Amino acid sequence: MYTHMSDQSGSEHTGQSHRDWMRHPAFLGALIGILAAFTQALLISAGGPVAYGFCVACHTRDLVNGLTNIVAGTHLALAPISANAVLPVMSIVGVLIGGYIAAKKSKEHKIRKGTNLEYAIYFLAGVIVLQLAMIFGGCPYRAALRTGYGDLSALAFIISMAAGVIVGAYIMLKWAEREEA
Amino acid sequence: MVAVGILPKDIAIYAVPVVTLMLGLLIGYLAQRSGYCSIGGFRDFYLFRHTRLLSGYITLILASFAGYLLFWFIIPSAMEGFLWANTNGLFTAIPGAPGGLSPAAYFLFAIIPGLFIGLICVYLGGCPIRQTVMASEGNYKAAWFFVGMCIGSIIFAAWVSGAVVVLMKLIGFGV
Repeated sequence: MYTHMSDQSGSEHTGQSHRDWMRHPAFLGALIGILAAFTQALLISAGGPVAYGFCVACHTRDLVNGLTNIVAGTHLALAPISANAVLPVMSIVGVLIGGYIAAKKSKEHKIRKGTNLEYAIYFLAGVIVLQLAMIFGGCPYRAALRTGYGDLSALAFIISMAAGVIVGAYIMLKWAEREEA
Repeated sequence: MVAVGILPKDIAIYAVPVVTLMLGLLIGYLAQRSGYCSIGGFRDFYLFRHTRLLSGYITLILASFAGYLLFWFIIPSAMEGFLWANTNGLFTAIPGAPGGLSPAAYFLFAIIPGLFIGLICVYLGGCPIRQTVMASEGNYKAAWFFVGMCIGSIIFAAWVSGAVVVLMKLIGFGV
């Protein structure tokens, strides 16, 4: 079970290559942080909010609601930067394409299917996680950006999220021990 | 006060989708290569004392502070309310949050979703960006998570955002 879990998070990527530094999460962390700040400096005239350079939940919301507003003529809420621009923020489209290119290039692209129950659980979890993230006003990434911007409630979110992860990991550890016993 | 960035508004409204698409491509590519995950960082550190993924998340916080600080020196008009807690008060909401609620409500909005996002995502085996990247790798479960986020964003805008504010005012967190 643990090998399966760490497979998913990619901790197995420790292979040696001449571009190992590119594959280190810390490199990407530094890059997102600097580029998010640069993006804000570049684009803030189009509208707020601040500390909005990259966010999986908010940018998905902006993309879906923005396109729905354009196609169906509805007035679903979205961030000013996406409402004012000709098209909403496209970073999630970029993540999907970028991830696909990287997976194809490194021959890691592989169809992995699950059961219908798992699909239902993941779908429901997606809906719930988005509601929670929107109530806070960001996913873990925007929480990091907001903390960098000096927002203490975002720091409270990160500490609380770490506590949730520890509780969740502890529960899963107990489940696994019970299955083995 | 209207924040002013490097690009004037007429150009910025066209640049938004282009710049964010480029940024997304770069992040998606590198996130796939590195297996970047915030939830996974805390989980691996708790279970195995692995610091690889956690270092990515900690670096993100530090680098964003460094980045905002740098651009705050270069172009202060774009960094409205930088050092938020200092300029706008402890635990006040960042713009875009619903108004008319007390600071305690925004604090609850931070810790309760945080706890449950941690719990749910550790069960799923990855935070939202990891799920999105896994969806692009051909993982059907993660793809359903992404579809759930898309449907969820319409549900949130249509019903939940209003309901949460009404509920919080009802239980005494209004101003």
